[in-house]
Amino acid sequence: MKAVQHGRIIGGLGSPHAPSIGVAYNTGKHETPAWKPLFDGYKPMQAWLEAKNPDLLIVVANDHANSFFFDRYPTFAMSVAAEHEIADEGWGKWPLPPVPGHSEFAWQLAHSLVDQEFDIAVCQEMPLDHGWLTPLSCFFPPERRWHVPVIPIVVNVLQPPIPSAKRCFDLGRAIRRAVEAYPKKLDVVMVGTGGLSHQLSGERFGFNNTPWDQEFLDLIETNPEKLARMTHQELMEKGGADSVEEIMWLVMRGALSPKVRRVHRNYYLPMVTGFAQVIFEDLGDEATARRAA
Amino acid sequence: MSMSAKKQADARPAWETEVEILPIRSRLIDFAYPIPGTYLVTGARAQRGYRLSKFCMSFMKPEVRAKWKEDAERYMREFGLSEYEQSLIRDQNWIGMIRYGISPFMIFKLSSTFGVGQNRTGAAMRGETYEEFMKTRNVKDAS
Repeated sequence: MKAVQHGRIIGGLGSPHAPSIGVAYNTGKHETPAWKPLFDGYKPMQAWLEAKNPDLLIVVANDHANSFFFDRYPTFAMSVAAEHEIADEGWGKWPLPPVPGHSEFAWQLAHSLVDQEFDIAVCQEMPLDHGWLTPLSCFFPPERRWHVPVIPIVVNVLQPPIPSAKRCFDLGRAIRRAVEAYPKKLDVVMVGTGGLSHQLSGERFGFNNTPWDQEFLDLIETNPEKLARMTHQELMEKGGADSVEEIMWLVMRGALSPKVRRVHRNYYLPMVTGFAQVIFEDLGDEATARRAA
Repeated sequence: MSMSAKKQADARPAWETEVEILPIRSRLIDFAYPIPGTYLVTGARAQRGYRLSKFCMSFMKPEVRAKWKEDAERYMREFGLSEYEQSLIRDQNWIGMIRYGISPFMIFKLSSTFGVGQNRTGAAMRGETYEEFMKTRNVKDAS
């Protein structure tokens, strides 16, 4: 088999991120009835990552006012750092080693994105909070931590104006072009993070909508363009104010081939957030070309 | 309403008693008709809550958490919080803070210093006891 001499997206993962998952993880609640359905949902993801052996994860999450504050809050940001500290979110640091970055490709990605008119803020330092640490800690068993470098991408979902769903989907497509133009072997897995239905403030705290969450999981797989046409108003009405972070799943999906092969899907709503996990395998550009023809 | 009760209501800031309409027009969010029980952190609301947000942010530093434990009142004064902001904190008035203009992620930084978890702040925002709120959840011990 001929070695691939350029970058490619080999798949996409969807994962929740929540401080409660970190607490459960660190207190070893993997087998408790309350948490087992969630942690079991990561087992196929661990196995898939081990089998696919990617060179890089591009993880899209939102900062929860840890690396950034509202004194300066970027719409889109990314890190070019060689290493990422663990953020102290206000209750002490999650006991994890620093997360390696991929500076060489990150700078290339920054240039490619801005060339494509995605004017993303470039950061040389970016402590990571539970937005990244939830999926990363669950994707790898402790002994395999962190054998894959990570480029963190940040989307503002906290302080409107926040970017449209379509803009996020298009950002994913721009990332795909940047990866494919990279003249070295680079197998990339895209990760979209965020809870499905949830609202964490106001009298509407605790709002959930499981039928909509299931529909979202259908659409993200088979018809992401429909999700990309939704307004924040529609997303928040259907899924609660904080479910608007589903737009970060669209960055992941936008980076994948129009059709994908779903090899994993899990959904669990224990408390206040719809937790979902997916694995989509990329069908490559041949499938893209076939569809366009 | 008695005269004294009316006077008291008049003294309360508008965002506490009324649905606050932010004068922002957007294709993506309908600010003229806010979703009931939902307070997006933007515009005048975000600006009003900025100092209190900044205060919550300070708890990311262990030395600030120690200082706060030592003398909370003093730390609030030294930080320059208004009387109103201090009273929101003293009363652990989470819904008041949200209406005033801070993000739930700011609430968590502050509430954790009181040993109060996310779902307890949420129950209070809904006007329920923690026990009442937990009855509405699928799994009771996943907090």
